[in-house]
Amino acid sequence: MAKPAMARDAVRVLRHQIAKMEGRLAERLQSSDTCGTGSSAALLATGAPRLDATLGGGLPAAGLTEIHSAITRDAGAATGFALAMMSRAAGENGLVAWIGTGEIFREAGHPYAPGLAERFGILPGTLLLGETEKLADVLWIAEEAAALGRLAGILLELRGSPSLLDLKTTQRLHRRALSGNHPLFLLRQASPSEPTAAPVRLMVAPIAAGSRLTLRGPLYGSIGPPGFRVSVDKSRVSPPATFNLEWNLQTRSFEERDHVSAATDSVALAAATADGSHSSPAFREVVALAPSPGGGAPGGQPPGEQHPAHRRARHRR
Amino acid sequence: MVSRRENNTQRIAALDTGAETLGLKPGMGIADARAMHPSIEVVEADPEADRRLLESLADWCDRYTPLVALDGADGLILDITGCSHLFGGERALLDDLLSRLFHQGLEARAGLASTAGAAWAAARFHGSQVVAAGQEAALIEPLPLASLRLERETCAGLESVGLHTAGAVMQVARAPLVRRFGKKVVRRIDQALGHVEEAISPRLPVPAFSVERQLSEPVSLTGDIEKLLLLLAKGLKDDLEQRGKGAERLQLLLFRVDGAVSRITVGASRPLRDPAIIGKLFHERLSALQDDIDAGYGFDLVRLSALEVSGLDAVQSDLVGPQAPSEEDVALFADRVRARLGAESLLRPVPVASHIPEGAVRLAPFAEVPAAGRGSAAVSFVRERPIRLLRHPDPVEMVAPPALNFRWRRAVHHVVRAEGPERIAPEWWRDETATPTRDYFRVEDEDGRRYWLFREIPLPAVERSSRWFIHGLFA
Repeated sequence: MAKPAMARDAVRVLRHQIAKMEGRLAERLQSSDTCGTGSSAALLATGAPRLDATLGGGLPAAGLTEIHSAITRDAGAATGFALAMMSRAAGENGLVAWIGTGEIFREAGHPYAPGLAERFGILPGTLLLGETEKLADVLWIAEEAAALGRLAGILLELRGSPSLLDLKTTQRLHRRALSGNHPLFLLRQASPSEPTAAPVRLMVAPIAAGSRLTLRGPLYGSIGPPGFRVSVDKSRVSPPATFNLEWNLQTRSFEERDHVSAATDSVALAAATADGSHSSPAFREVVALAPSPGGGAPGGQPPGEQHPAHRRARHRR
Repeated sequence: MVSRRENNTQRIAALDTGAETLGLKPGMGIADARAMHPSIEVVEADPEADRRLLESLADWCDRYTPLVALDGADGLILDITGCSHLFGGERALLDDLLSRLFHQGLEARAGLASTAGAAWAAARFHGSQVVAAGQEAALIEPLPLASLRLERETCAGLESVGLHTAGAVMQVARAPLVRRFGKKVVRRIDQALGHVEEAISPRLPVPAFSVERQLSEPVSLTGDIEKLLLLLAKGLKDDLEQRGKGAERLQLLLFRVDGAVSRITVGASRPLRDPAIIGKLFHERLSALQDDIDAGYGFDLVRLSALEVSGLDAVQSDLVGPQAPSEEDVALFADRVRARLGAESLLRPVPVASHIPEGAVRLAPFAEVPAAGRGSAAVSFVRERPIRLLRHPDPVEMVAPPALNFRWRRAVHHVVRAEGPERIAPEWWRDETATPTRDYFRVEDEDGRRYWLFREIPLPAVERSSRWFIHGLFA
């Protein structure tokens, strides 16, 4: 009786080690009792409890995370969300880097230090800006920066779905960010979901801002703290879910807005199954999700043996 | 044969030995020359190209001494003081120089003497010759007046009074000579004989530290060059350490076998002397320049120089190993980015005291921001600024004027909420040109996107309705 339990324990430990080597999130579904100790240290919580729970504790605190916006006009919201997470990762004095192509900076605007300091608490003295015209050069800077242990977070911003940003490139970025032990947010404006090495992909869209708070209560018609609609598009531990969040600079965290409507959107967390077969109906739905029809150029599709890395790598295990 | 336009006629500027044997002389009219020998080939003179050739030759001569000066349009002066023993003596240096030039297809004459004047005369009137110290007078005496580096008018004047050789001029009493022909004649004589110092101003500043390596087998692969570079950097490190210096700008000189010289410069944001770091910086630069460096038949001399140095004290290292990652890492990263992609590709924002939105922050290259200003500098910005600012405000079209609905990039945005206006007047005390005042509005459209719009208030002199622009995006 004791022997199978011990064997299962050993398997779990080995799985954890493999996950660590591969740079994946320590699997939460596999065993609910180990995740608390094993993975919480390597996670960057968003501050919104339900989103964190859905993501299994938060976004990865080291490695690649993709943040997408559907169209370039939504750049403000996606940028805001990524910056907010950088601000959470960096704290008061952490050094952060924002690297992008000249194209996206011209299209969506250059980083503006006064606004960053005011809204996200990222001071000019802690910000490094990288900008070149060629995507290959931008990726080179990002790779070099990703391996720097001194940086507290990196934002790599691109537009569309360039063929250069394939599975191999993102894998390299992911590994380097892991070795640098800091998050690398790949901010992709106007980009469809594509196969990348990032364990988590979020889609961010704008929603109406909250009202300004006065002593008499919310001020009608004013534009207060920014709102974000965050959808979990790819995650090893979470089904697709959407949350409406609001950024609060004072606490440097997100707060969830209108709980009720959001609760109906999101699907309940898939429960851990004892035998490892994915029998939960919610979960099967996740696995069966086909890649988005317009997702990437035909050339961007990986060859057969690479396919498991596409979107949800669930069936690989 | 090369022709030149002079006093409205084409004259011979220079000619080769073949043309000389035909009896042609420089200064002769081209028409006369053609009449004598219809088959001669004439090329128009190109002083610019000649100059470029001379400069590239001067670059090449860097392999013998760092002190190379241009002499007129057709000569080079090399100060080889203290360098000749590196090449096995003066005679050997001269022979080496002439044979290498000959193999490059250049006909050159050289002279070597203790003074620049005597060497000049030896080169131009004797062919290759090494003049021993003290023999300058014996060398110059039988030579014509031109060997004293005098203008043609002065020479003609001296000849008209019966002084045909340099020796004759030297024997004449000095006072009347100065009175009649100016001080220059006497000064030139003194310079040639070494009575007066003559300064030679080199083309390029002489680097403080240099290490070089001659190769018997030329290298052409970038990997080999990088290996060599590491060796040189180790040598440079010793020199720098002895003086307690670190290099801030480094230059790598690659001398190609056929005479071309490539100079590759990298800068560092803080003084350094670690060979590995120097190697890394050049690695980036070399890979960025890969297409621009033509190795040809290979490089046979590689030199690493520290162009700018500043004090760098040795740091006591820790017994337990390297220290925690610090600002150094980031500085090295910034240097590598700069070496590869230029200084403008990695910037830091610097706050500026200005209420104009686009003037409130300046982007400076990483190396230029003083270290003290980094970190948690206290900054007080005005509130409600966008996180992204368009470099140039984009004009937008208002759809239905009383409401703020606007069209930007072919899409109509229905504004549901707006805050403002915030009036921002131009800095009249700074710019002379009249800039309109702006009224800024924060607006939010029905999808929740937040923008920063402004209305330009037309100047009183201009008859125009106000125009609207979008200037930034909020989170």
